[in-house]
Amino acid sequence: MSPKRPISYAVLRGKVIETDLIEFGGRGGDITFLAPDPRLIADQIPLASPRLMEDLYELSFEDILDYLAELGERLHLKDNAYLQEALEYSYATAPTTKPIMDGFFHDMPFMFDKERIRGMVDFNIGIDYLEGWVEKAINGSKVGIRAYGARTLHIVAGNGPVLGALTVLRGAVTRGDTIVKVPSNDPFTTGAIARTMVDMAPDHPITRHLAVAYWRGGDEALESRLYQPHNIEKICAWGGFASVKHVTRYIQPGIELISLDPKRSASIVGGEALDTPELMDEAANRIATDVATGNQTACAACRMVYVMCGTDGEGVEKLKRLGRMTYDAMMRLPQALTTKPKRYDRDLKSQVDMLRLSDDFYTVIGGEDDEGAVIVSHTSDRVDFWEYLADRTVNLIPVETLDEVLDVVDAYTQTVGVFPESLREIVRHRGALHGGQRFVALGYAFNGPGLVGPQDGIEPMRRIVKWIISEEPLPGRKPFWECTDEEIKVVA
Amino acid sequence: MATVAPPNDTAIEREAEAWMHDPYDHFGYHNTRIHTLPCEEVEAVQLAAMNRRLAERRGQIKTLEKLADGQNITALATLDDMAPLLMPHDIYKSYPVSLLAKQRFDQITTWLSRLTRYDVSGVDVSDCDSIDSWLVRLREETPLDVATSSGSSGTCSFFPKSKRDYMTSVMGMRVQLAQKFGEHPRPGDLADKIHAIIPLYRDGHASTGAFAKYFGKIFAHDDPDYWHTCFNFKISSDLMWLAARLRAATAKGDASKVDVPPSLLARRAEWEQAQKDMPAQQLEFVNRMIHELKGQRVFVMGTSNLLYAAAKRGLDEGLSGVFAPDSVFMGGGGAKGVPLPDDLEEVVCRFFNCERMISAYGMTEMNSFSVLCDHDRYHVLPWVTVFLLDLETGQPLPRHGAQTGRAAFFDMTQDSTWGGIVTGDLVTVDWDRPCECGRTSVALEKKINRVSELQGGDDKISCAATPAAQAEAMDFLTGFGG
Repeated sequence: MSPKRPISYAVLRGKVIETDLIEFGGRGGDITFLAPDPRLIADQIPLASPRLMEDLYELSFEDILDYLAELGERLHLKDNAYLQEALEYSYATAPTTKPIMDGFFHDMPFMFDKERIRGMVDFNIGIDYLEGWVEKAINGSKVGIRAYGARTLHIVAGNGPVLGALTVLRGAVTRGDTIVKVPSNDPFTTGAIARTMVDMAPDHPITRHLAVAYWRGGDEALESRLYQPHNIEKICAWGGFASVKHVTRYIQPGIELISLDPKRSASIVGGEALDTPELMDEAANRIATDVATGNQTACAACRMVYVMCGTDGEGVEKLKRLGRMTYDAMMRLPQALTTKPKRYDRDLKSQVDMLRLSDDFYTVIGGEDDEGAVIVSHTSDRVDFWEYLADRTVNLIPVETLDEVLDVVDAYTQTVGVFPESLREIVRHRGALHGGQRFVALGYAFNGPGLVGPQDGIEPMRRIVKWIISEEPLPGRKPFWECTDEEIKVVA
Repeated sequence: MATVAPPNDTAIEREAEAWMHDPYDHFGYHNTRIHTLPCEEVEAVQLAAMNRRLAERRGQIKTLEKLADGQNITALATLDDMAPLLMPHDIYKSYPVSLLAKQRFDQITTWLSRLTRYDVSGVDVSDCDSIDSWLVRLREETPLDVATSSGSSGTCSFFPKSKRDYMTSVMGMRVQLAQKFGEHPRPGDLADKIHAIIPLYRDGHASTGAFAKYFGKIFAHDDPDYWHTCFNFKISSDLMWLAARLRAATAKGDASKVDVPPSLLARRAEWEQAQKDMPAQQLEFVNRMIHELKGQRVFVMGTSNLLYAAAKRGLDEGLSGVFAPDSVFMGGGGAKGVPLPDDLEEVVCRFFNCERMISAYGMTEMNSFSVLCDHDRYHVLPWVTVFLLDLETGQPLPRHGAQTGRAAFFDMTQDSTWGGIVTGDLVTVDWDRPCECGRTSVALEKKINRVSELQGGDDKISCAATPAAQAEAMDFLTGFGG
C-alpha cells in the first residue's frame, strides 16, 4: 500500500467527490495533491437554474444563523477528523508555520458565533434588507429595496486558511449560491468545512448551495464552460490580477467582477511616541504585533513604519533605539501569533545583508538567522526593496512631516496603523484621499472587530448580493394617461 | 572561517597576474586560443587571481572589507569559497533615493567611493546640479566613467566602472566577434579600422550612450569616418531617470507623486517627443549606412527588431548582401512583449551578408561578453569564474553535472570594482559535457530566465501585494501582456 496522499476534495452541493483523482501542484518544491478531474465534474459545479435559489427563501435569517452556529460547533479541531487531516496537509502548502496554522484552525469555530455574524451582517447590509423589502415613501411612490442572493464564484486567497470559511459564511447569510475555487496554497481547508456540512445536513439548502473544487486557474476547457452568464452572475476574486488574469476574457454583460486587489500596509507613529522609555516600549510592542502576526503574510501586515522623529542625528538615534526595542518585542510575541518564518525569502535576505554594508544610511537589527529583521533608515527613504518586505522584516523610516508619509500612501495601501490616537483624525482624512483604506490603532491590525465592514475600500458583502427595487405609486399619483401635456414630466 | 590559500605556484601566479592585467594582450588577441585553454589550468589561475585580488582590494574597497571582515575570510582555498564575497547587483543602487532628488551629490559620491578602488572623495562636486554634471565631473577628474541604469522600480543604479574597464569590455567584443573560431586571426581582424555602426547615442552614461566612444576607439581607431552613431549627441541620464520615476509613479496610481527636482520634471515633454521619434530615426540611419558603406566591413550593434526592419525593407527594394561578408551583426534585447519574427536571422543574414546574427550575454557589471556559439551556448571568457547558486540556500551548486541556478560571476579583470557579482539571472551549465563547437570555456545554455519570473509559484493566490503581481497587471493593462 502506498501512503495516503493529500486530496483536495470537491464538495458539490451536498456530494463529496473523491473519484477520478488527478495530480496537481508540485512546482518549486511544493507538495503535490490529488483532486477530482475538473473536466468530469464541470457540469456539477454550477447551479442548474436560478430558479433553484427558491429554497433559500424558505429559511429565515435566524434559521441561517442556527445552521452556522451548529456548523461552528462541529468545527472544533479536536473533534473533526476532516479538519485534522486538512491541517496536517496544510502545513506543507501554507506560507506560514505549524504553530500559526494550529492557531488559525483552533480559532475557526469562533467565526461562527451567532452574535458576531449578526453584528457583521447588520452593519454591512442590514438584516432587514435580507429578510424582506425595506420600504419607504419617496417622490410620490412607495419604494422597496431588497438584497437577493446571487450565484457567485469566489476565487479566494490562500495565505490564510480562514478565507474559505469566511466565504462560506458570507454566501450563507446573503442567501447566495456559492462556488469556491480553492487556491493551491490552501487546497484542503474549505473542502473540510464543506464535508462537515454534508455530514451535518446533506439536504439543507445552505449545504446544497455550496460547491467547492480545485482546478488550475486558467484551465480553459473548464473555465470557458463554467464562466458563462447562465451559470454565474458574479465573480469575487481575491489577489487581484493573479486570480483574474484568466477570468477577464470571460467578463461580459451578465457577469460582474468584484476584484479585491492585492494590498500592503504601513503605519504612522508620531514623534512624541519616542519621548519617554514607556511610550517607546509601547510603540515597539504595537509595531512588532502588526508586523509579525501571521508572519507578515497578510495584506494587513505592517511592512513600513514612518516615524515623525525628524532626520537629524538625535531623531535617527532615537529611531535606532525604537528599532532594537521593536526587534526584541517581536521575538517575545507568542508562537500562536508568530514564529521564525517557514522559509526566509533568499532575495530578501541578500538585500537585507547588503544594507548591513551600507551602514551610513541604514541600521539592520537582527536577520542573521532568518528570524526577521528591523531595518532603520537614516534618511527619509524607505528601502529600495520595500515592495518585497516579508517574513517579519520591517523598515522604520524617519520623517519630518506628515506630508512625507502621505506621499507614499497610495491605492495599494490597505491598512494604516496610527499611534498615538491624536493623529487619527488628520491621518484618516488625508490618508483616505491619498488612497488608504483602513485606519487602525497601531498594534490592533489583527485584533479588531473582524471583517465587519468595507474591505480594500469596497464593500464585497454588499456587492455579492443583487439589490432589487420594487416601486408602486402612492395614492393620488396621477397616471400619465390622465395628464395634460404640461403635467407630464418624465424625470430620472 | 579562516582558510589558507593554496601554496603559491610561481608559474600560475605569473599567469594570473597577466590575465588580470591585460588578458587580450597576453593571448595575442587570439580568440581561438582564449577559448581552448585546459579547464584545470583555467581554474587554477582563477583561484590564484581571486586570492591576489582579495588581498589587494580589501584594503581599497570599503564595502568588500566589511563583507570579508564580517565573514572572517582572508583567503580562498577553492573557487566556491568566493561565494560569500559575491555582491548582489542591487548594491550599486543602495543609496537613499532622496539624495538624488535633493541633489546631494557630495553624499552620493561618498557612497560611491565605498564601491570602487579609486579615491573619488577629493573631487569637488558641490556645484553639480544634475546627474549628468556629476558624472561628467567624475569622468573628467578620476579614472572612472560611471555606468548608470534604471530598473523597473525607478531607482537609478551607479556602477563605478573605469575607462579601462570599458576598454577591456569592448576589446573583448572585437577579439571575439571579428575572428572566426578555429582559425588564426587575420591581420585585418586586429589592425584594421572597422566601421562601427551604432544606431544609438554618441555619448552618455547609460549603456545606450556609454559604449559608443569606446567602439570609436577599439573598432574605428578614433577615425570619425569609421564611427557612426544615429544620435550625435549625449543621452541624458537625468531624463532617463525622470522617465523611470514617471513610470514608477504611474504604476503606483498617482502620476503626480514624482520625486525629482522640478527643473527636471519640466523636461518631460522633451523626453517623450524624443522617444516617439526614435524608431523612425534609427531606421532612417541604418538605411543611410546601408547606402554609404555598401560592400565594406562593418560592425553593427542594434536591437534585433531594428536590424530586421532595415533588412526587410532592403530586401523588398531588391537589395541583398550589402556589406562585406566578414561583417558582424549583433542583435539583442527587443522590448518586452514584442515577439521576434521567426525568420529574423534568415532575413538579417541574407540582406546584410553574414553567416549568423551574433548574440551575446553580458552586463554592465562585468568586462566580459559571452558570445553564443553555433551550438547555442554562451561561452564565458576564462578570466570570469561562473558560479551557480542554489535559489533556496544561496550556496554554490556542485561544479559537475547539469546544474541550474542563480548566476554569479567573478571577473578578475575588473579594474575599479571588486568584480564579484550575484545576478538576477537563472542559468544552466552542464559542467561535464564539452560543447560540440570545440571551445573548452564554460558554456551557459541559451535559455536564460529571470529568477524573479520563477517565483510566486503556480496558482497561489495572496491578498498581499507583490511587485510582480503589479507589473503583470500593468503589462496587461497597457497591452503588452499578450
